[in-house]
Amino acid sequence: MLRIENLQAGVADKPILKGLSLSVNPGEIHAIMGPNGAGKSTLGYVLGGRDGYEVTGGSVTFEGADLLDMSADERAAAGLFLGFQYPVEIPGVSNVQFLRTALNAQRRARGEAEMSAGDFLRLARAQGDALGVSMDMMKRAVNVGFSGGEKKRNEMVQMGIIQPKLAVLDETDSGLDIDALRVVADGINRIMRAPGKSVLLITHYQRLLDLVEPHFVHVLAGGRIVRSGGPELAHELERDGYASIAA
Amino acid sequence: MTLALPSNRQEAWRWSDLSSLPDFAARAPGALASPLPNLWLDCAIPGPRLLFVDGRLVTEESNLGTIEIGAHQEASDHALARHAGEGWTLRLDAGHAPLGLVQIVHAATGAADHLAGEILLGEDAQASVVETFIGEGWTNRFTRMRLARSARLMLSRRIRSSGFVSLTEDAEVGQGASLTVATLAAGAADTRLDANIRLTGDSAFAEAGGALLARGKQRHDANLVLRHEQPNGVSRQVWRSVADGRATCSVAARVEVARGAQKTDGEQSLKGLLLARTATVNAKPELEIYADDVKCAHGATVGELNRDALFYLASRGVPEAEAKALLTSAFVQDALARIGEEAVREAFEADAEKWLAQGSFVPSEVEGRT
Repeated sequence: MLRIENLQAGVADKPILKGLSLSVNPGEIHAIMGPNGAGKSTLGYVLGGRDGYEVTGGSVTFEGADLLDMSADERAAAGLFLGFQYPVEIPGVSNVQFLRTALNAQRRARGEAEMSAGDFLRLARAQGDALGVSMDMMKRAVNVGFSGGEKKRNEMVQMGIIQPKLAVLDETDSGLDIDALRVVADGINRIMRAPGKSVLLITHYQRLLDLVEPHFVHVLAGGRIVRSGGPELAHELERDGYASIAA
Repeated sequence: MTLALPSNRQEAWRWSDLSSLPDFAARAPGALASPLPNLWLDCAIPGPRLLFVDGRLVTEESNLGTIEIGAHQEASDHALARHAGEGWTLRLDAGHAPLGLVQIVHAATGAADHLAGEILLGEDAQASVVETFIGEGWTNRFTRMRLARSARLMLSRRIRSSGFVSLTEDAEVGQGASLTVATLAAGAADTRLDANIRLTGDSAFAEAGGALLARGKQRHDANLVLRHEQPNGVSRQVWRSVADGRATCSVAARVEVARGAQKTDGEQSLKGLLLARTATVNAKPELEIYADDVKCAHGATVGELNRDALFYLASRGVPEAEAKALLTSAFVQDALARIGEEAVREAFEADAEKWLAQGSFVPSEVEGRT
């Protein structure tokens, strides 16, 4: 599904990713762990297509297509979802309006018919209910006045409505208490743990991985993957720290 | 007609470009496209409807109701409004029958025209008037409003035309009366908006605001003076300016509080959004306060679309142009959401959406002279 080869990228001439390679197959959940400054968020933004992140070498293919050649909205329409570490507040635009615009833009881009207002509201209500996000909240402006936990739950509602093929979730666990973490983890498992879907979980900590068990764990340090393994690698990192591996 | 126009060297006119006006004044009117698009709004009680083409009433398309047409007693000494000496009068006295929404369409066909309007509301009288501007030319309007005790007036203007639109208001708001003026400039015309609103009675309310949308080399220039002459008055000025290309939007809004106008509550919010680095937004909030127990808040900001929000929308699949339109629409929403009448608010929102979606209105609604 996703094939990253020797990816080199940076911001403002500062190299951050220095030859990162990674393959994610359909049905797989991969975790990327690593110390601060390793390039975890940069990887998320480069995959998402954010302006200002310059790719200087390597390639990324998504279902056989050149991902780096697509604009951010084209990547979304192709099936990529980027979960934000800090979801953005948009005053004056309701969640319902935001999501319906997004969903229908994706459907148009794929040559599908737009979803009617009624069908969309039913879908939004069902996904909101599953994550404890009420219709009242859905009618409020995007993330405005939401707590940290509510913003992350809202990301999961968006993911549930959009139903991507690949979710790249950047520190989705940060700022969550243990109850909210469980709700978000349940959301990831429910929405994305499926044969045709894949997840790239970018995280600092083991705790999310206890609830969303990955098939593979990778350690990102100094801009490249320095070690890969199974779920047990996360426990080893939690016990011994990054220093022993990244050194 | 000889035109004596103010120059940019005068402070109140420094952001205006009146250079197209002599040309319009020298031209003869063109022809009206037929049929005219349906511009009448559906509303619960159908009120009077007036269609003016080049400032002249088209009788067969109009339904005057209680509105009279003729010369006005009081003229304006405003540099542009002084050209408008006659026009329509809406006079309502206490206990009048429900009027419905008054709709006035002003169509221009390539030349200049001048027209005055009067809205004279007696005690407890209520009216809502919506004016729609279409076509191409210089459309010059003067509106005199007098609100007696507890009268209520909502005046809404949709500018969808090309050329130049100048609107001058002179209003007095009596005791406990309420005046709301809302303007949306969403056409290709340059505009000059002047309002002089005086709160002449205790506990009067006045609101003047709107959204100015400009692209290309368009210029919008709004100048407002809201004067509190009596205690307990409330005033609101909410303006949202959007400028793209090499366009300029300017809003100069002043609140004056006279000696003795205690407990005045004034609020100004002037915000500008630049869609291009080559565009300009001028915001000039002014307060002139001679009473000591008043609350006057003002805020003026000019900025660009939030890049984080644009990327967030893109990451969910919204193409750039659509994302910009959505965020710009949210920006002007503050000014449009204040319009109480649903049919009018929806028409305003539709005009703004259309401007955002496809560029300015083309002047094909009315054929101008070429």
